[in-house]
Amino acid sequence: MIFPESNERRKKLGQAIMFGIARGISYGIVGLLLLILFFIAKQGMGVVNWQYLTSMPTDGMTKGGIYPAIVGTLYLVGGSMLFAFPVGVMAGIYVNEYAKEGALKRFVKTMTNNLAGVPSIIFGLFGMALFVNQMGFGASIIAGSLTLGLLALPIVIRTTEESLKSVDDTFRQASYALGASKLYTIRKVVLPIALPNILTGLILAVGRVSGETAPILFTVAAYFLPKLPSSIMDQCMALPYHLYVISTSGTQIEASRPMAYGTAFVLVAIVLIVNIIAALLRNYFGKKVKMN
Amino acid sequence: MSNKIETIDAHLYYGDFHALKGITLGIKENAVTALIGPSGCGKTSYLRLFNRMNDLIPYTQISGQVLLDGQNIYQIKPAEIDSLRRNVGMVFQNPNPFPKSIFENVAYGLRVNGIKDKSLIEAQVEKTLQQAALWDEVKDKLNQSAFELSGGQQQRLCIARALAIEPTILLMDEPASALDPISTGKIEDLIFELKNQFTIVIVTHNMQQAGRVSDYTGFFYLGQLIEYGKTRKIFTNPTKQETENYITGRFG
Repeated sequence: MIFPESNERRKKLGQAIMFGIARGISYGIVGLLLLILFFIAKQGMGVVNWQYLTSMPTDGMTKGGIYPAIVGTLYLVGGSMLFAFPVGVMAGIYVNEYAKEGALKRFVKTMTNNLAGVPSIIFGLFGMALFVNQMGFGASIIAGSLTLGLLALPIVIRTTEESLKSVDDTFRQASYALGASKLYTIRKVVLPIALPNILTGLILAVGRVSGETAPILFTVAAYFLPKLPSSIMDQCMALPYHLYVISTSGTQIEASRPMAYGTAFVLVAIVLIVNIIAALLRNYFGKKVKMN
Repeated sequence: MSNKIETIDAHLYYGDFHALKGITLGIKENAVTALIGPSGCGKTSYLRLFNRMNDLIPYTQISGQVLLDGQNIYQIKPAEIDSLRRNVGMVFQNPNPFPKSIFENVAYGLRVNGIKDKSLIEAQVEKTLQQAALWDEVKDKLNQSAFELSGGQQQRLCIARALAIEPTILLMDEPASALDPISTGKIEDLIFELKNQFTIVIVTHNMQQAGRVSDYTGFFYLGQLIEYGKTRKIFTNPTKQETENYITGRFG
């Protein structure tokens, strides 16, 4: 052998160290995540029962349940997606399929990226100025949903754009070559292929939106409202804000601590369940696209 | 035999790149014309003039005339491009069936063009799959995904997809370059069958293939048409030195 053996050994050792560090870090992150989940589950599990999930808070929010906050969060997440999904998908289609390469397209893309980096409290202020005051919705589910929708918009636009970009161009060409228009091609060929990935974007957006506190602070969230909203013009409670309230500004913070852990547990569980449902949905669509 | 397609001094630019430098050529009706030449010589760009697929690439400029049945297809209204493409079918280098069922792949072009009658679509799908010599292999699994077919079957499916809307011209861009020899043989047999009904233009890198399937051959080099004539003449007794060098494998 012309290469010295020691060189080989040094190379192997170097690799072992690098991979060891990388592996350690990734295991560490997973471990940390599991630790958080375990901590929340351990503290919250004892509190959460059917009664807790389905009754109103009582006794200065130290007893009772979190039913109105759960319902409120579901309304807000659903409402924000009703707004963000169609608007975001259409914007993504425009940017990837229609906009010509050039300054305008670059500008739109840059602004979308910047929008994703805007602190959520700014969205809250903007939502209050526009929806609550200017448009006169007042603090209401619709104002909160639209504000959360704005927050989710960049995520939906970005993933739609990326999903469309990953559709192989020969599919488009084959469709055009058969005399199909651009719109028909997008509807019948491009979107069905991209749909599973677009749904992933929706999942990410739902996960983000359901945990946000700042955007709903001034636009919808109620400190304490022991009844369900009767229309989209009503205020409502929401899990993240409820958690914030009972951990920081309640009258008896120590007494409501178990309630707080229960709320945290429910919030995490909802996000987890949404993710699982969406993943199942994505698998289902993925198969359907292949088969159909 | 008359010319189905004719180009007169056709130039094509991609931005600053002069891809086609004044091509004048007539493509004979109901015959197979092969376009050969080394990579980057302009043969695929030339093929894509005929169904205006080059239009999809930004910063493309075209001058000269491209006549199809005597009509300049670069002077038609934008709305007529779709009907032009209906008349000029295309098969691509890599098999690219849609992620749909075998049936839906062939039916796609019919649905694009507004045909809704179910029995009509079924009849046309069967007829076209038979034309593409694929019917016997797929007739029991029409509802299965096209991706479950082999590469060669997929390419014949793509040919069927193109034929379903009854074009008069079929453009083939290296249709067998991604296939094994047996699948390639089947495609070539198919081309031989189809040339009675269609005007076929095929781009190929494979000299033997050009020799086997085509009636006429055009040799492209650096964006120019160096030589054009009957395939037998080009392969046995080319006029130009470049053509002979390329065919005998001395470059390219």
